[in-house]
Amino acid sequence: MSGPSPRLFGARVPRVEDGRLLKGQGRFVADVDFPGTLSAKFVRSDEASSDICDFDVKEALACEKVRAVFTGDDFAGAEIRCVSAYEGFQPSAQPILAVGRTRYAGEAMAMVVADDEYTAEDAAEHVTFAYRPLEPVAGLDDVLGEDREPVHSGWVGHAFVRRSMATDGFEEAAGSAAHRVTVELRNARHGAIPMEGRACVARYDQGSGLFELWTTTQIPHLIRAGLSDALGVAESRIRVISPDVGGGFGVKAQLYPEEVACCLAARELGRPVKWVEDRREHFIASHHSREHRHRVTGYFDDDGILLALEADIAVDMGAYSVFPWTSTMDCGMAMGILPGPYRVAEYSVTGTAYCTNKAPYGAYRGVARPAACFSIERLMDRIARHRGADRTEIRRRNLIGPDDYPWHSASGLVYDSGSLPESLDKALEVGGHNRLLADQAAARAEGRLFGIGLAVFTEQTAHTTREFQQRGVPIVFGYETAKVRLDATGTAVVSASIHDHGQGLETTLAQIAADRLGLSIEDIRVEYGDTDQVAYGAGTFASRSAVLAGGAVVKAADAVAETLRQVAAHRFEASPTDIVIGQGCLSVSGSPGASIEIAELCRLVYQRPESLPRGVEPILEASRTYDADPGTGVYTNAAHLASVEIDPLTGKTKVLSYAIAEDCGPMINPTIVEGQIFGGVAQGIGTALFEEFVYDDEARLLTTTFSDYLIPTMTDMPDFEVAHLETPSPHTIGGLKGMGEGGAIAPGAAIAAAVEDALSAVGDVFVDQLPLTPERVLAWLNQARIQGDGQ
Amino acid sequence: MVEIAVEVNGRAETAEVDGRMLLSDFLRGVLGLTGTHVGCEHGYCGSCTVLVDGASARSCLMLAAQANGSSVRTVEGLADGEELSSIQQAFKDCHGLQCGFCTPGLLMTVTEIAAEVASTPSRHQIREQLAGNLCRCTGYHQIVDAVEQALDQAAGGGR
Repeated sequence: MSGPSPRLFGARVPRVEDGRLLKGQGRFVADVDFPGTLSAKFVRSDEASSDICDFDVKEALACEKVRAVFTGDDFAGAEIRCVSAYEGFQPSAQPILAVGRTRYAGEAMAMVVADDEYTAEDAAEHVTFAYRPLEPVAGLDDVLGEDREPVHSGWVGHAFVRRSMATDGFEEAAGSAAHRVTVELRNARHGAIPMEGRACVARYDQGSGLFELWTTTQIPHLIRAGLSDALGVAESRIRVISPDVGGGFGVKAQLYPEEVACCLAARELGRPVKWVEDRREHFIASHHSREHRHRVTGYFDDDGILLALEADIAVDMGAYSVFPWTSTMDCGMAMGILPGPYRVAEYSVTGTAYCTNKAPYGAYRGVARPAACFSIERLMDRIARHRGADRTEIRRRNLIGPDDYPWHSASGLVYDSGSLPESLDKALEVGGHNRLLADQAAARAEGRLFGIGLAVFTEQTAHTTREFQQRGVPIVFGYETAKVRLDATGTAVVSASIHDHGQGLETTLAQIAADRLGLSIEDIRVEYGDTDQVAYGAGTFASRSAVLAGGAVVKAADAVAETLRQVAAHRFEASPTDIVIGQGCLSVSGSPGASIEIAELCRLVYQRPESLPRGVEPILEASRTYDADPGTGVYTNAAHLASVEIDPLTGKTKVLSYAIAEDCGPMINPTIVEGQIFGGVAQGIGTALFEEFVYDDEARLLTTTFSDYLIPTMTDMPDFEVAHLETPSPHTIGGLKGMGEGGAIAPGAAIAAAVEDALSAVGDVFVDQLPLTPERVLAWLNQARIQGDGQ
Repeated sequence: MVEIAVEVNGRAETAEVDGRMLLSDFLRGVLGLTGTHVGCEHGYCGSCTVLVDGASARSCLMLAAQANGSSVRTVEGLADGEELSSIQQAFKDCHGLQCGFCTPGLLMTVTEIAAEVASTPSRHQIREQLAGNLCRCTGYHQIVDAVEQALDQAAGGGR
């Protein structure tokens, strides 16, 4: 440990967590097994909306090795509620198991607990329900039609909430603009679909009255808070542990009924109860996302300069408001970020979060921003077409420039910094735009459908107190916490309130701590995920963990380093300000002989208290929180450039190239940043081309396996080209900005533009809907042919 | 119940299992080899891939009883103590994993390919060969980097 300790911030350090994951030594929730653990299987509703008339669990209970069958009334004392502070919000209460009524197909109605999973699954087949089907509110067509009964009794209309805002000058600017274009855009309902589904194992200790829940979550402390509400048990009686988690992307950032049910069953039965979701359950009952419809009008002048923007946003939020986000998040985010990277001065928007008989709607990487980006970028392409201008040029005219920061958006956001025009140029460069144009000309000469598309966006990241206050959520997700503790051997444990499920935070936080403490990365262990071990904080979501936990680690490590300095100064009779930390040692600046290894100093602190100066306690630990200023987020920006080719016979779109120029401020570890970008882009390409939850007429989900719900495979993905810009935030520690979600935001817009560009060789069509399935592309192609023939 | 004898990662195992027990459940639940992950139980995602007599197999689509008399290799059998196999090392070097859930299945598929590879395949060929292993985190680019490095090594650097 006395070896050289280079500065690790910014270095492509290999990940410290990889060893265990590569050797099969990770510990995922499904791997957790305690003696006497029972297995749970949920019986789920086949009807989206129905009255439960009768049920029969006798046959299931009679099965050998079945311990219990629970139904709605057994858990009726618990429910999940998350009420927004927005005026007019209509709340919902989600039962743990349906009571008397089902509100989406897939809702859990009964829970069978048996000695093993096979038995539980068999017995679940013997639980029978009789329902009286009701006409479901199957989607946005139904809520707009209005004549259906609302999903929840006592409601007026179908909206959880509807909100509007407009700038004072909107009417005048819109009224006096020379031109206007209106677009209507749809994004299909789909989901995060991590490779690991959800799972949980609950234990209840009757002696102490303690619940212990192992669960696949991104937000252990918030799950504890939600469980505390649902169970009516103090948080000190609940321990939530989230070990290795196989991908989250937002779908594991909500409290689910199954987590509550396993806790209740474990208490009732006096044995651990384990549930491992199967893939079908994941499709029908884990939270969905992304379903937006936008109607957007741009008002612009002869040069295509956007003068005012008007939007009507509708989001299908499914049956229940989810904890801890409520059912307003997507709508609010879309309303706020729709003007995006452009100098939109005047803005009028209405947003409605609708309640339907579909699975609840939670977070998914990018939260509303993919839909917002799709809308504004499709609008930009339309404006370019209207003005006969180049798509790149029209963007350059409208982008927020380097001298415009801080930019106060028309929706009330404050963009701290950025490099939008530069990132656009960089994407064109790294994506080989000139080469693509030549390729396109050659392809068109051969009659092939080759298109180029581009999208630019700004990404709100690491938003904290002020932003979440404005969003009306009951818990304001302000800060994250880190504790840094040095032990007597001179190694450190960093305990963080965030969670790492692939983002590499075990490595990046260790990089930060090692630099601040003058240690090697091998001397740092990062722990997270156990509410009994780490201090309170919200968890990992909203592209915030590196910024907030990173900042908290800096603050805590510096506090510990200060104690080390005091002890070393005392030993060398120097001033603490003259003590330098680095390369495993503390040294007196300018006195080559006066140096002590950190390990030796740590041993003295803990084991030789007589060596401490007066007033310094033998504790080398500190906990700090960090709530990044200004609380409304810091802004990452990027431009994406895609090229595609369409097979005119099948309508299949192939992504030929994909380039990203991203500016997320200083990078702690560029390799990890690239991994996050590529992974996000792949999910975005799924959004663009494949992913869609398809329902029958009765709101029952039809796409419930990987054969009918397609996520991108290796052959669907191109190699990526990436370039980085690094504009630091003026607000955050280290100038850091978040970037975990960004990759997923722009692909829908960029690929839609590329498909439209490819089809433009045949005729002018407007690509207004995602995903770009072969059927839709063929329909546009036919439309283009008809349109082209007509000219 | 069925009596089975299987060699798993070089170690002889005998057990009495339910005839319908999946190989994945046998490995994970009976032998405690939880490195093999189950992602879909339909044979699509490839997370549960193991080698049965050297050939890749979906352990979620195979019964434990069918492995009777076979030699099974799982992710736990790849490293030599603390030392990663060259394929594992390549994944680490190239950031070929994020959450690590699909990784064991990928490593087993690549191990099968590496045993037969004579020259380093193109990136396109690598993508074709691994299209049966889904990953939701990486976007695959860095996996292809890792496999390229690993297969280049396995092929003795020959192209």
